[in-house]
Amino acid sequence: MYRLFAIPTLIINVSIILLPALLTVVLAFYRWDGISNPTFIGFENFEKLWGDRIFWKALKNNVIWTALFLTFPIAIGLIAASLLMLVRRGRTFFQVVYFLPMIIATVITARIWQGMIYNPQSGIVAMLNRYGYDVRDPLSQTSTALYGVAAADLWHWWGFMAVIFFAAMRQVSQEQIESARIEGANYFQLMRWVMIPAIMPTIALMMVMTVIWSFLVFDFIFIMTQGGPAFTSEVLSTMAYRKAFYELGVGYAAATALVISLFGLTAAFFYIRLQNREDAE
Amino acid sequence: MAHRLKIISGALVAFVSAQAVVAQDAVTWWYESANPEQQAALTEFMIDKFNAKNPSDKLTIDYRGSELDKQLRVALLSGTGPDVVNTPGPSFVATMARAGQLMALDDIADEKGWNDRILPFFMDLGRFDGQLYALPKTYETLGLFYNKAVFKENGWTPPTTIPELNALADEMMAKGIVPFGSGNSGWRPANEWQVSIALNSIAGPDNVQKALTGQIPWTSQPFVEAINELDSWWDKGYFGPDYFSLNGEQVMANLAEGTAAMSPTGSWNFGLVPEYFNGRQDEVGFVGFPSGEGVPYPIFSLGIGSTFSISAAAQNPEGAAKVIDQVFSEEFYTDINNVWQGEWNMPLRDLSGVSLNEDVIPLYTESMAALASAVNENQYGYTTWTFMPPATNSYVVSGIEEVWLDILSTEDFLAEMDKIFQQELAEGKVADIPAR
Repeated sequence: MYRLFAIPTLIINVSIILLPALLTVVLAFYRWDGISNPTFIGFENFEKLWGDRIFWKALKNNVIWTALFLTFPIAIGLIAASLLMLVRRGRTFFQVVYFLPMIIATVITARIWQGMIYNPQSGIVAMLNRYGYDVRDPLSQTSTALYGVAAADLWHWWGFMAVIFFAAMRQVSQEQIESARIEGANYFQLMRWVMIPAIMPTIALMMVMTVIWSFLVFDFIFIMTQGGPAFTSEVLSTMAYRKAFYELGVGYAAATALVISLFGLTAAFFYIRLQNREDAE
Repeated sequence: MAHRLKIISGALVAFVSAQAVVAQDAVTWWYESANPEQQAALTEFMIDKFNAKNPSDKLTIDYRGSELDKQLRVALLSGTGPDVVNTPGPSFVATMARAGQLMALDDIADEKGWNDRILPFFMDLGRFDGQLYALPKTYETLGLFYNKAVFKENGWTPPTTIPELNALADEMMAKGIVPFGSGNSGWRPANEWQVSIALNSIAGPDNVQKALTGQIPWTSQPFVEAINELDSWWDKGYFGPDYFSLNGEQVMANLAEGTAAMSPTGSWNFGLVPEYFNGRQDEVGFVGFPSGEGVPYPIFSLGIGSTFSISAAAQNPEGAAKVIDQVFSEEFYTDINNVWQGEWNMPLRDLSGVSLNEDVIPLYTESMAALASAVNENQYGYTTWTFMPPATNSYVVSGIEEVWLDILSTEDFLAEMDKIFQQELAEGKVADIPAR
């Protein structure tokens, strides 16, 4: 009888998430322009994807993005969270400051970075050039376009990590920390042997979510470079978007979306296996 | 209790009957983006005047932003959407018409006399399978804006041939002036303006027409030469060091300042001239882009900004027809172009009754007149966004960056473009190209 309580959420979940997801999976095997009728073509979309050099470029960029986001925000977030633990007064203030970039709409953040920081005529880059430093707009160079966008998104993201890790650290029992202190542990030893192992489940979860989100990343890239210049900042989702809405190739875009989900699912699979192994212990 | 019930029911009856008396048929129109001044202009000149003339209809305009075409696609697919459909161009009309989403307008055109009021060339562009499905809202062209003051100071004249252009650009580079002020940061498809110019002014519109109808491939020699020339301009630095960083407004500002001497862009930029050449409108010039060997000068590539259609699932098709009819009137042309140039250049046959305010720069009216006569004399070209099918068009935008940045050779770029184009041609996605 109590299982009936799950029905409302199930209905929402099925209609808004499951059905469109299934439709996307099905559409990946069709050719469709979004206007006329779809035609079944089997694995042709996947074959085309395999031979598409832009697909491999985009995939490489997603992997680079994942590597960037698995390291910097988590490392900085852990350090900031531990510092928040030390500070008693001003803790709320700093939490708010760290979290503020997350609250600002991504469009606005992206435009500010593009127009007021990176821009060689109206941004900080322009000012640096005027003072004689030869700085180029990273978004305009093929070698740095992806990293330029990543910098903006990292600035936007690491505060979230800091707040999450801080919340987890506060759950660590005080006795453990105090006993470590009494035994003469310094900051690094405290982190290495007490704090990080204690919040490992949270860190693991954040890493899995980072992998999933890194393959989904879209907004900053689309707003700042749209995948350019010359596809050097293209990621799978911007490619799928372009294929679906500008090139009228919805089936091909669905196939790309499936690849994105594949990576996310793999990450989720490993996470659940990790959890089960921990529970078993 | 009974007394209160009587009052409530009486009020209800009065309310319902009042609604019945003022029952109007709504006409819905989804528009793209418009800033507050522009929306006010549409309200004053379109909505209010329409509602006054047609008391039985009530027009509403819904501003959907730059993602309008995607929202339209989804809505029309599900049988909903507006009565007046603003499609992004003829290449979309073909697909939508084939899918039965648009209403055939031949009868309405005959009834309202559109065939006499609108330039026949543009009527042809909206036909598909022999029937009329769309009318162009505005036609635009590509050309060369230039800073007259800078030219006068240096004793330069606008070039008419490619060798003249190259020589002039080299002189400008030597003086530290950017020859082609341009940037794609705000609108990445700015890339295809340059490609359209190269293909039409250097390879020539006859060749482009042959390629668009599948008679010659895009890998033909004239196109190789055109793209190679475009690539050489990039390599020589004519587009400036900040092409990927500047947006359209910054480009106009640079042109007005004189840090850029010319700007190959579209006639829609007349909308920016009042702000950036404030008080010195006589310092801006607009001419056709120089032509290559064997190509007449000037070639004005034609673009159709968007088109009007009536949805096949329209709730009020007669009202929609009346709205479109009002748009294609001299009165509306005058009203709207006084305050919002560049977006509402409806291809009316007879513009003699139109006289714009003094604060609209005469250069705009002159340029539009020059464009109209160029069309009559067959000196028009084909912009990529209007005449190319969707996937080919999308590839042009990104692919040319690869050519510029030496990731792809011209031949490979054209080969890939041709491959995509031939497939779309086979799938019937290319609009009917009228004969020259």
